Amino acid sequence: MTEHTKWERVSGNEEEAERIYRKSRSFLGDVWFRFRHKPTALCGFILVLILLVFCLAGPFFTPYTYSEQNNKMASIPPLLTVYPGPEEGSYLYITQGMKLIEVDNEGNLVRQLKKKKDDNAQKRTSFVWDDDTLVYLDYSRLPNTVLDKEGNRIEVSQKKWNHTYLLGTDQLGRDILTRLMYGTRISLMVAFIAALVNMVIGIAYGGISGYLGGRTDTIMMRIVDIISTIPLTLYVILIKMCLDDGLLSIIIALSSVYWVDMARVVRGEMLSLKNQEFVLAARTIGSSTKTILLNHLIPNAMGPILVTVTMLIPSAIFMEAFMSFIGIGIAPPMASLGTMCNDATETLRTNPYQLFLPALVICVIMFAFNFVGDGLRDALDPKLKK
Amino acid sequence: MTKYLIKRVLIMIVTLFMIALLTFCLMHIVPGSPFTSQKQVSQAVLDALNAKYNLDDPLWKQFVDYMIGVLHFDFGPSYKYTGKTVNDFIEGGMPYSGTLGLVTLVFVLLMSIPMGIVAALRNGKWQDMLLMFFATLGVTIPSFVIATGLLYIFSFKLGWTPVYGVDTWKGYILPMIAMGGYSISFLARLMRSSLLEVMGQDYIRTARAKGISEFRVIWKHALRNALIPVITVLGPTIANLLTGSFVIEKIFAIPGLGGYFVNSVTQRDYTTIMGMTIFYATVLIAMIFIVDIFYCLIDPRIKYE
Repeated sequence: MTEHTKWERVSGNEEEAERIYRKSRSFLGDVWFRFRHKPTALCGFILVLILLVFCLAGPFFTPYTYSEQNNKMASIPPLLTVYPGPEEGSYLYITQGMKLIEVDNEGNLVRQLKKKKDDNAQKRTSFVWDDDTLVYLDYSRLPNTVLDKEGNRIEVSQKKWNHTYLLGTDQLGRDILTRLMYGTRISLMVAFIAALVNMVIGIAYGGISGYLGGRTDTIMMRIVDIISTIPLTLYVILIKMCLDDGLLSIIIALSSVYWVDMARVVRGEMLSLKNQEFVLAARTIGSSTKTILLNHLIPNAMGPILVTVTMLIPSAIFMEAFMSFIGIGIAPPMASLGTMCNDATETLRTNPYQLFLPALVICVIMFAFNFVGDGLRDALDPKLKK
Repeated sequence: MTKYLIKRVLIMIVTLFMIALLTFCLMHIVPGSPFTSQKQVSQAVLDALNAKYNLDDPLWKQFVDYMIGVLHFDFGPSYKYTGKTVNDFIEGGMPYSGTLGLVTLVFVLLMSIPMGIVAALRNGKWQDMLLMFFATLGVTIPSFVIATGLLYIFSFKLGWTPVYGVDTWKGYILPMIAMGGYSISFLARLMRSSLLEVMGQDYIRTARAKGISEFRVIWKHALRNALIPVITVLGPTIANLLTGSFVIEKIFAIPGLGGYFVNSVTQRDYTTIMGMTIFYATVLIAMIFIVDIFYCLIDPRIKYE
C-alpha cells in the first residue's frame, strides 16, 4: 500500500505511448530542411529564382528589343556627364561621336541636336537648339565642353543617371538591360538543355555499364577513359565548327561532350547498389532488367546524379560564354552574355561598362549555381560534409 | 612497373589515334571544301587545287597519308595561307605559349599550396575565411572576365603593364594571373581540405606526442601525405593551363599557339585546326602521363595493377 502512494500509476494506454508526436519528415523534406539551413545554398537558390524572373519576365517590362539599333544613341553610359543647357532644367550630353543630346532634369534623353556648322579654326561646332538659339560644342582642349551664352567654356559638369537606358547602350545603340535579359535567357537555356541531355546520356551509359558489369563494363569504361583524356575545349570548338552558327549547334556541341563525368558517377552508384537485397528481391519476383534499372537502381542513385547535374550547369554556361567570346557562338543579332563581352572588348578603353555588366551577370550566375550545387551535395548526403 | 608503363604508353597511342581519327572525320563531315569562298572559282581551278593537296584521293588514303606525315612531325600545308605550313605556326607560337604556360605553372604552385596550407592551419579563422573567399571567386569568375578586368585596371587606368605583347617580362604578369586564377583557387581548396583531413589522422597525434616541433609535424608528416591528391590533379591542371590560354592569348595579343588556333577555327583552315588539335592533345597527354608516373613514384602504396 505504501509503495502505491509514492509511485503513481500511469494510466496505461499503449497507443498513446507509441504515438509519434513529431510529424515524420520524408526524404525530400529532410533534404529541403538541410538545404535551407545553409545560408550560402539558400542565397544561391534565391539568386537563381531572381535570375529566372529577370530573364523570363524582364523582357515584358522593357520598351526595347534585343536587336533594335539606334545609331544616334550609341555607347551612352548609365551615368551621364552633363552640362547646363540654354534653358532652365535642360542639360546637354556630349556623345563620343561629338554630338549633343538634350537631357532633361530626370535624366531622360530628349533628342539629338541637329548639327549646323563645324568651325575648324575656333575648334567648335554649332548645333541648332531651336529656331533662334545655337549651342556650341568646344573641342579646343580636353575635356570637351559646351559654351555658355557669352561664349565661355562651362567647366562645371554634373552627373546624372541615364533614365531612358537604365544600363546604357552598346556601340550599336542597343539597350544593354534588354540584351542582358535575353543573354541570360540564352545562357540559362543552353545550360539547362545541355545538362539535361548529358544527364540522360550519362545515366543510360553509366547505368548499363555498371549494371551489366563484366566485359561490357570494361570496354565501356575504357572508352570513357579515352574520351576523358581528350581535351574537351578543343572538341566543343571542333564540333561547333562542323555545325551551323546558332543556338541548336551550341546545344548539340555542349550536350555531346559533358556526359563522361555523369556516366562515371552513375556507374559507381550502380556497382554499389546492384548487390543489395532490394535488387535481389526484385530479381526474385521476376522483374526484368529494365524494370530493375529504371524503377529500383536509378531512383536510388538520384542524389549524386542531381549534384553532378547542378555542377554541370555552371560549366556549360562558362563554355557557352567562352565560345561566344572567341567568336564561334550565337549568331548576331541575338545576344548572349559571351557575345556581349566579346563585342565590348573592342571599346574597353572608352566604354568599360559595356564589358563589366555582362561579366557581372556571368559571375552572378556562376556563383548562384555553384552555391546551389554545394548546398545540394551537403543536403543530399550529410555524411560527405566536412 | 614496366608492365604498367607499357600499358600506359599503349593507351596513350590508342588515345592519340582516336583523337586524330575523330578530328579527321569531323573535318570531312563539314559541307563544302576548304576552297569554297565568296568569289566563284572555276571547276578547273578547284580540280587543280584538290589535286595539289591530294584531296581527290579516297578518304582512307588521305587519312593514311596524313598519319604518315604526322609520324614524321609534318602536319601539312595551311589551306588559307599560301606557302605556310602548320609546322611554321607551331614553331612560331610554341616559344610564347610554352613560356607563358611554364611561368603560370610555377606561379600557380607557388601561390596555391601556401594558400591551402595557411587556410588549413588557420581553419575557421579570418585568414581561412579570406583565402577561401578569394578561392571561391577564382573558381566562379571566368578567365576572360578576369583578364579583361586586369587589362582595364592595370594597363589602361594605371599604366603599370603593357597593353599587349610580351616584349618585356612585364607583359607576362597579367596573362599569368588571369590564366592561373582558376587553377590557384582550385588547388588551394584541394590543398586545404586534404591537409585538414591529414591533420586529423592518428599518426599526426603520435608525432605530436613524441614532442617534435609543430613545424616538423606539418613539414615532415602532414604535408607529404596531403600533397598526394594535389599531385593527382596536376596533370589535368597543366592541361587546363595550356588549353585555357586561347582566350588569354587573344585578349593580350600574345603571338602564341592559342591565337593561331582561334584564328584557324574562325577562318576554317582545316589542316591547321587538325594539326594544332593533335599537337595540343599530344602535349597534354604526355603531361598527364609524366605526372602519373611521378605520382606513382612518390606514393609507394599505389599499385600498378
